Amino acid sequence: MDVEELEEMVGCNYEHIIEEIPMLGAEVEKVYGKTVEVEFFPNRPDLFSIEGTARAMRKFMGVETGISNYEVNKSNFKLHVDESVLDVRPYVHGAVVKDLKLDKSTIKSLMDLQEALHWGIGRDRSKVSIGIHDISSVNFPIDYRAVEPSSVSFVPLGRKEKMNLSEIAEEHDKGREYAGIVKGHKRWPIISDYNGEILSFPPVINGVQTTVTEDTEDVFIDVTGMDEREVKKALNIIVTALSERGGRIYEIEMKDAYDKHTPELTPDKKKISVDDVRNLIGVSASFNEIESSLERMGYGVQIENRSINVEIPPYRVDIIHDWDIIEDVAIGYGYEKIEPEISDTSGIGAAHSIESKGSILREIMIGMGFQEVMTLTLTNKKSEYEVVGRKEKDSIEIKNPITEEHTIMRTSLLPSLMKILEMNRHRDLPQQIFEYGETFQASSNYEKSEHQTDKKIDECYKLAATSIKPDANFSEVKSTIQAVMRETGTEYNIERSSDRIFIEGRRANVVSNDSNNKIAVFGEINPEVLTNFNLSHPAFAFEIQVDALRI
Amino acid sequence: MEIRSKEIEILKLLYKIEEGRPSELSSTGAVKEEAVMRIAFSLEEKDLAEVEKNIETIYSLGEEGKILLKKGFPEDRIIELVSEDVKSIRELSKNLPKDILEIGLGWIKRKDLGYIENGKIKLTDKGDEWLQRDRIDYRILELLEDTDMGKEEILERVGCDAEILDELKQRDQAIKEEEETSYRIEITERGKEVIEEGIDEENKIRDLTSEDIRSERWKKKSFMEYDVTKPVSEKFPGKKHPYQHLMDEMRRVFRDMGFKEIKGDTIESGFWNFDALFQPQDHPAREMQDTLYLNKPEVLELPEEELVERVKKMHKEGGNINSEGWGGEWNKELAKMAVLRTHTTATTIRYLWKNPNPPVKVFSIDRAYRRETVDATHLPQFYQLDGVVMDKDLSFKNLLGFLAEFYSRMGFEDIRFRPGYFPYTEPSVEPEVYIEDLNEWIELGGAGVFRKEVTEPLGIDYPVLAWGLGIGRLAMIKLGLNDLRKLYESDIDWLRRSPSCL
Repeated sequence: MDVEELEEMVGCNYEHIIEEIPMLGAEVEKVYGKTVEVEFFPNRPDLFSIEGTARAMRKFMGVETGISNYEVNKSNFKLHVDESVLDVRPYVHGAVVKDLKLDKSTIKSLMDLQEALHWGIGRDRSKVSIGIHDISSVNFPIDYRAVEPSSVSFVPLGRKEKMNLSEIAEEHDKGREYAGIVKGHKRWPIISDYNGEILSFPPVINGVQTTVTEDTEDVFIDVTGMDEREVKKALNIIVTALSERGGRIYEIEMKDAYDKHTPELTPDKKKISVDDVRNLIGVSASFNEIESSLERMGYGVQIENRSINVEIPPYRVDIIHDWDIIEDVAIGYGYEKIEPEISDTSGIGAAHSIESKGSILREIMIGMGFQEVMTLTLTNKKSEYEVVGRKEKDSIEIKNPITEEHTIMRTSLLPSLMKILEMNRHRDLPQQIFEYGETFQASSNYEKSEHQTDKKIDECYKLAATSIKPDANFSEVKSTIQAVMRETGTEYNIERSSDRIFIEGRRANVVSNDSNNKIAVFGEINPEVLTNFNLSHPAFAFEIQVDALRI
Repeated sequence: MEIRSKEIEILKLLYKIEEGRPSELSSTGAVKEEAVMRIAFSLEEKDLAEVEKNIETIYSLGEEGKILLKKGFPEDRIIELVSEDVKSIRELSKNLPKDILEIGLGWIKRKDLGYIENGKIKLTDKGDEWLQRDRIDYRILELLEDTDMGKEEILERVGCDAEILDELKQRDQAIKEEEETSYRIEITERGKEVIEEGIDEENKIRDLTSEDIRSERWKKKSFMEYDVTKPVSEKFPGKKHPYQHLMDEMRRVFRDMGFKEIKGDTIESGFWNFDALFQPQDHPAREMQDTLYLNKPEVLELPEEELVERVKKMHKEGGNINSEGWGGEWNKELAKMAVLRTHTTATTIRYLWKNPNPPVKVFSIDRAYRRETVDATHLPQFYQLDGVVMDKDLSFKNLLGFLAEFYSRMGFEDIRFRPGYFPYTEPSVEPEVYIEDLNEWIELGGAGVFRKEVTEPLGIDYPVLAWGLGIGRLAMIKLGLNDLRKLYESDIDWLRRSPSCL
């Protein structure tokens, strides 16, 4: 947003505005020179334009509070809605706005708002899309119907020659991007005027003929979509923003498939109880304070007995429940004025068993001189299995990985520990590290955690450690894991193992006496694995399933 | 002075070769390499040898470096296109990913290779000749692809100055810098004398042996005195990871405040991760580009039908609480999709469903996942601190109270509350703390009172105060990090040197 323009539209100086904006609910991203970038929340698309922001700030800063009333002038503009659109894109609302004074920057602001709404409300145009047309070459009444894609053609924006709808879908950039929304249908929607000139192929592209320019004074706005509530919201935001620029709004009458007059700018009314406001926020605000808080947020307010009659401005599309309004009371009142106070809710502090086990195991490992590390749980099959010489297990697989590095969830902690040794290969030896963390496997026989609704996943905590130094050997790893077993009171037997991360004949499984299951594995790391990690000293390692320990 | 036999071995060797590295000194096999340093320090204390510590900078190829090698430098890719007459930013953006274009343009500007005029790139003279330059940067990457290498050697082999290494480092760690410590041991004049005189058995005890004690021989000798100010080798205790340390501290704070810790599943259905929290099904956060979905398992079972119906009704038309809902359709299949939980609020909401009676005071610190590209401030997984309080007569003011108490116990004095937005809370708030060193307010997560649209279908009749704080940011501040990746790269040197007290 241009700083000077914002100052002028709000009527306050810029530093002051920047200071207040966060308290309305936004983040000031960047200020450079005469431009400021502010990020508003996605539930407030009415703030996605400089007009909307200025309107909100004017009220919030007390320059002009209360509800803005927008007059909708009567007119003879008509829009025929043909029943053929009901399958493909059923809803259309429209409006005419006259007497605009546009320049480069206001046109850009309008286009930006349109794009922001396409994304924010329109879900990338699938739910709602907006067209804005210079009215000077348009002859009312307008017609909205669905047609065979190859039966009509017009010159779309960005091209010089006529194309039919199929050609646009195939060859035009916007067609390739958005025609998918209507592709499943035999007939596609178009908006044309009385002379049959095509204004738009929603939700894809407008015709070149009605492009808005600096000479444009009067515009026709069409909003089409799948959800009437959202269509109405988008139109209200656009026309009220244009009205802030001095535009005069004229109604359009929708006919045939349904009959209605749009835009509908009469404020919705809601009744809120004063007690609800005080109880939810936790402050004993007076009637006057509540009233002025709401007015700072742009509402119309009347207090009656213990309730508040609230008029909701037509551009506020995020109000779906009383509490949305109560939040605005709190914002208008000022979060900084609400004194934080802890409730006397009783509760007994308690650690989770996974964390208490972790504390015990950390103490044991640290006592033996091991340094704790943390690694990522996302990995890939190559790192998890191939590099450490292990056979593939049933791992949890990501459907839409963002990189080849992160395609599955780890089943073991050892590969990441080896990776850490690799990253530290230039550091002083000895290096002794351990990790306590979760691993994942697709279906096996472990006991489920309390919330598991399904038998498809085992999420299981493991303790793993490795040590690299010139004299690392089997007897040391055996005495180390024995210490863990002894300290946790776990009874076990030791058997030969076939885990190929270790050297054959120097690897073993720990088998629990309680369950007869294999609960741990240890040994000297296979030199082939060491070489894969660019390591040139001997190393040993172990890994234990923690739920099998008697702690 | 008593000199042990191993020490004599080393000293004799040193007398011959004057000075050497630990590996050379162990080459005779008499002393193991790992023992050499201990002996060397001992010789140093006796003033027979000197230990010199050298720190050399070693470079290795980073992930970004591999990509640059494969795909080329962003600015080269742009200039190649420009020289093929693809000049406008708009056309370029069709040919190159957005981030590559942005980064490349940055370098073009920085290296004065070109500028943008009317949306087109114009090359400077330097830019015109750019592709014909001596590609030192590629050569360095190629060298490092084969093997890690010391700084001096790189500079010698490539024939460049150190600036280019810094530049590569700035490219998202295309090359990584590490310090490698090496030692050289040199014999002193005194050491030479001792060898020349023949090792004498002075009547002083150097290393006290059990034999000295048992035979009471020590009574007849005197103890050699050490120079207690001389440096010795460093010792590093095993420790908790600093991040774990910080999280345990947070756990303690919440337990002290009377909260119980809970845990839930990492893999959740869309139902618990989104729908139960009144996140609309067409919410952008649910799309494939933001959330990690699973192939295996692809779907999870939904909870009891009655609950699913209540949630569905709330989404579609607002249930019985005078809400409008989101409108539109609600699809059970979407709710079944398995995801890596995008927040640990999935854990707390499940807990509330099982425990709908007041009072409830629980928290959870666990991993959550988002589909993010890895960079200095983003990782696809992060720890989150979630908490809920449910009781009669709770208000927004109490929520601010709990947050303020937590942050102040964590040592943050300046706290402010800013309005926020989350689909499942109302009112919503973003707590911020003021960080003096940065002269900035830092946002630390989100909080709010669960909407009635959330609590009503779960059968919860009282207000629920809830927060979900990203603690990575807090860790970066507390641990003085500017790169989140450091937490998981576990540089042993960093771990060894970060003190246990925060």
